[in-house]
Amino acid sequence: MTEQAARPDGIEGSTLPGPFPVGAYAKKLQEELRKRARLQLVGEAWNVKRSKARVYFELRDGDGALPCAMWNDAWERGRIPEGAFVDGAQVVVAGGPDYYPGSRTSSPGFSFDVSALRIAGEGDLLAQVDRLRRKLDAEGLLEPQRRLPRAALPRTIGVVTGESGKARDDVLAGLARRGWEGRLVWAFAPVQDRHAAGAITRALQDLAAVAPDGAAGTQMGTGGGVEVIVVARGGGSLADLLAFCDETLCRTVALLPVPVIASVGHHTDRTLIDDVAAVACSTPTHAAEAAVPLHCAEARVAVGRSAQRLADHGRRAVLARARHLAQLSRAPAQAVAKQRARLHQLMREMRASARRRGLAETERELRAAAAGLERRAAVARGANVAARRAKLDALGSALTAHDPERIVARGYAVVDDGAGGVLTTAAQARAAGSVRLFFADADVRARIEDP
Amino acid sequence: MSVPEQTYETATSRLEEIIRRLDSGEAELRETLALCKEGRGLVEFCAAELDAVGQGLEELRLDELVARLEAGAGRPGDAP
Repeated sequence: MTEQAARPDGIEGSTLPGPFPVGAYAKKLQEELRKRARLQLVGEAWNVKRSKARVYFELRDGDGALPCAMWNDAWERGRIPEGAFVDGAQVVVAGGPDYYPGSRTSSPGFSFDVSALRIAGEGDLLAQVDRLRRKLDAEGLLEPQRRLPRAALPRTIGVVTGESGKARDDVLAGLARRGWEGRLVWAFAPVQDRHAAGAITRALQDLAAVAPDGAAGTQMGTGGGVEVIVVARGGGSLADLLAFCDETLCRTVALLPVPVIASVGHHTDRTLIDDVAAVACSTPTHAAEAAVPLHCAEARVAVGRSAQRLADHGRRAVLARARHLAQLSRAPAQAVAKQRARLHQLMREMRASARRRGLAETERELRAAAAGLERRAAVARGANVAARRAKLDALGSALTAHDPERIVARGYAVVDDGAGGVLTTAAQARAAGSVRLFFADADVRARIEDP
Repeated sequence: MSVPEQTYETATSRLEEIIRRLDSGEAELRETLALCKEGRGLVEFCAAELDAVGQGLEELRLDELVARLEAGAGRPGDAP
């Protein structure tokens, strides 16, 4: 099985030399590529994979890409910081093209042989921020702050800002616009450079710590703590605002139990804290307004209106029922009047009959009986119907002028038959046998003992 | 879980609910009086909440608070 014997004829009509064995050609290609100048390339590393012997990745930019491979010993010499070499990282590589010729049992492959690699320092800040944003998003850290409940009317607000910046005045202006005059806890921190991140992180943690019902809040003498935190800073270059893209700071914000309202930079700047905060605002003034969703003066008017409507309802409810009671009280008087008319008619008839019979005695007896009936009628219609009606009318007007509940509280009670039918006379009460008395606090059941 | 404490939002939304019920005219006397009483309590709560943020701005400094807390922590038995 020699190569000579296996080599076939070339393609008929082709002027190209050969055919040559592929393995020899592959080795030649490898030699040729390795002769090319070694140099440095810059781009983003993607699809990073590691094997026992090598690190593989693709180096890309907007115009093209190159497969790269780096021996592990070269990688270790580079002392690349842990976590820095991730998808999208900006890197500089040194090396040259190489070709692995493969074999009967392994695939060939072209790669750029990397002998040294450096993470491209500051590199593209925006890309760095974007990578961190994607990372935090993947960990679900862009959500927790947005899910925190926010008080409509916080009593205590924390503000993290520079001590001498304009942002401080803007926050005060926003709060004044809301008519809010509660307790403000200023956490002044440097907001300028990369060292600011640590100070801001500590300020946020401290503000949240004086918050909950724990000892800190109590010692503060507040009873409650900071209910919302505003982080405010004016505009600046992205490098200036980089403190607000700090990973530790953003993770702290994301997991803080107190909602954070961020206003960092101008609205065109998008810092990472905007993404992890509960709310991102374009200016410190807006941030302050977002911290107090309620307009205090308007809220006062609304509460006053509610109080008025409650009072109106209470008064109307009792007035309507007082009128009903007054109506009911008239009904027995009308019945008595009817009975009296009938009584007089009977008397006249009896008198006539007595005259016809000429029996004076009978007339006297009848007179006595009539007087008795009159008396009983008087009892039946109550001691004094007119006086009672006057009293009810007075009660009605008193009710219009007073709070309904206080009237009942003063000793009046509404009586019903236990099923909602209001009882207004002793006779009705007797007929009902058991009744319900409505007092100010509750109702009681009562039995009528009067036979 | 602790009992949810009353907030301005819960108070105002309950107040609106009460006024809607009263506006409907369906509440009988006893319910009306009970709703009026509850509503008055809510109005007082809301007014107190508004008063708490209407008495003039009080400005504190976090660094001073923290310093005070740390000084307080140094004196055992000083807890309120």
